[in-house]
Amino acid sequence: MREAPYPTVLKPYGRALVDLAREREDVVCLSGDLTRQCEVDLFQEVFPERFVHAGMAEANMMSMAGALAREGLQPWVHTFGVFATRRPYDQIVNAIAYPNLPVRIVGFMPGVSTPGGPSHQAIEDVALMRALPNMTVVDVADAVEIRQAVPLLADLPGPVYLRLKRGEIPVVFEDDHAFRVGGGQRLLTGGEVALLTGGMMLPATLRAAAVLRAHGVDAGVANLPTVKPLDRDTVLGAALGTRGVVTVENHSVIGGLGSAVAEVLAEAGAGVPLRRIGLRDTFAEGSKSGPYLFEKYGLSVREIVRTGWELAGRSGPAPEVRAPEPESGEYAPV
Amino acid sequence: MTALDTTAATGPGTATHAPAGVAGTGTTPPATAPDPAVALARRIRLRAVQMVAPHGFGYLGQALSSAEQMAVLHTDFFRRGTDRFVCSPGHYVIAAYAVAREAGDLTDEQLGAYGQNGAELEAIGTETSPAVDLTCGSLAQGLSGAAGFALADRLRGREGSRRTFVLVSDGEVQEGQTWEAALFAGHHGLGDVVVLLDANDSQVDGPVSSITTIEPLVDKWAAFGWYAEEADGHDTAALRAALARAVADERPGVVIARTSTVHGLDCLPEDADGHFIKLPAELAARALAELEDGDA
Repeated sequence: MREAPYPTVLKPYGRALVDLAREREDVVCLSGDLTRQCEVDLFQEVFPERFVHAGMAEANMMSMAGALAREGLQPWVHTFGVFATRRPYDQIVNAIAYPNLPVRIVGFMPGVSTPGGPSHQAIEDVALMRALPNMTVVDVADAVEIRQAVPLLADLPGPVYLRLKRGEIPVVFEDDHAFRVGGGQRLLTGGEVALLTGGMMLPATLRAAAVLRAHGVDAGVANLPTVKPLDRDTVLGAALGTRGVVTVENHSVIGGLGSAVAEVLAEAGAGVPLRRIGLRDTFAEGSKSGPYLFEKYGLSVREIVRTGWELAGRSGPAPEVRAPEPESGEYAPV
Repeated sequence: MTALDTTAATGPGTATHAPAGVAGTGTTPPATAPDPAVALARRIRLRAVQMVAPHGFGYLGQALSSAEQMAVLHTDFFRRGTDRFVCSPGHYVIAAYAVAREAGDLTDEQLGAYGQNGAELEAIGTETSPAVDLTCGSLAQGLSGAAGFALADRLRGREGSRRTFVLVSDGEVQEGQTWEAALFAGHHGLGDVVVLLDANDSQVDGPVSSITTIEPLVDKWAAFGWYAEEADGHDTAALRAALARAVADERPGVVIARTSTVHGLDCLPEDADGHFIKLPAELAARALAELEDGDA
């Protein structure tokens, strides 16, 4: 694992999909009028004969994708996470999830990573997709995971929802990182509090862990890029014996990673206190920039530190966290 | 002797076995010969009554309104093993089951269990429903599926080798997805897609025309880049001619079939609820007698 600040790259997903399509002739690419934003302008350039403009018609796009998959093709469907899940939910249920077809739904711009207002913020996409039988849900953290995940997801027999950050993508892991569908990793072992996260919140969680550890709290971090099926062993391995678990997600605290972890802990009788960091049953309004929203709604290093500090039973104020000042080309945790 | 009773085990619409006309051409039979589609339509109604009767109610009106469309499709156009059939409204799957029974693909026992606990044949079509390539109980998704099938053929260089026939209901055009799919198929010129639109003016809350005006349907589809015409949906000759033109046109085609949910079963009361017809035992017996009489 690298140390912050992390370098960033552009379009790792777009390149990974092109690489996949070179290997697999069955891969076709559908775009819902967000081609460049979803990095598949790269695919369109290289494989125009396998690229389909579905236009602004998500219901039709999902139903068509199901039919393409029935015919033995492997559609990768692209739009923002909000439009990939809210608008065509019934179509995903009936055309993709119920028939258990290998359609890959790729939803960009998760949670409050956009200042585009509630209409553009996918804050319950993981909850919606996680509730569907047959659906695998993946929320990757960095460019290395993206590059590794794409060919592995292509091999799954059923449908996948892949949640991706838009724009500059950090490189958190070294090349020897091994993404595995359904697998998590304990990145830092810690006996007092366990910080469980995935996707965009991994850099912030790692930074919070470093702050806590610097102030004497033995905080561990587990990375859980597959929200469904959740890696039960990694969750319990990280949680059991600690004074508390903190889940950190760029999503509503209802139905996402925090809920999935709660289910595992409760069903195992773990008896470990849980705090969920995420959007607390609210829509996110009023911003010019994504980082402002992360701060405003408590998806911050400061909030993770404060929560871990309290769970660990420390008295007194939590350690102060200096707001990051990212330089161009570097990725600062939010 | 019905039209399909004269065919080999491969069933309706097989190019080498179709009793009249050659599948894929829409050739009109000689004026003097009985139209096999008329007989098949009656048998579809009979099979539907047999399926619904044990329940005392069910999706009989869908079979009554679509019987001639299904019959003409299968006697004259549908190439088994080649073409696809999409039954967009899952409630109409009863008509597909009926055709499959006539083709020998289903048994009386299977039909007898229609809609019962543990049955293969659910009353609203599912993923495991036989006799269809695609169906969905959540309405207006079939046309998008058909566009996806045709798109798959195009992506693999097989366009023109097979047709995708889609049964669509008039109520479904109230859903926006119908028009998303119509736009896509029109823009991309998916000429292998041919729609039979059963305009029976029936939806759950009453006549479609009393709920939301969907007319003029021909003009709407034409405006979306489709070949579109309407026909008397209970006149097999008119349907055959219209469907032949829709198939032949290079654009995606739609035949708007003007129909009634109580057609072809005289014993039904005129005010029967076409979406979900009540068929108590006494009425069911009369219905079976009326339809079986045609076999005499």
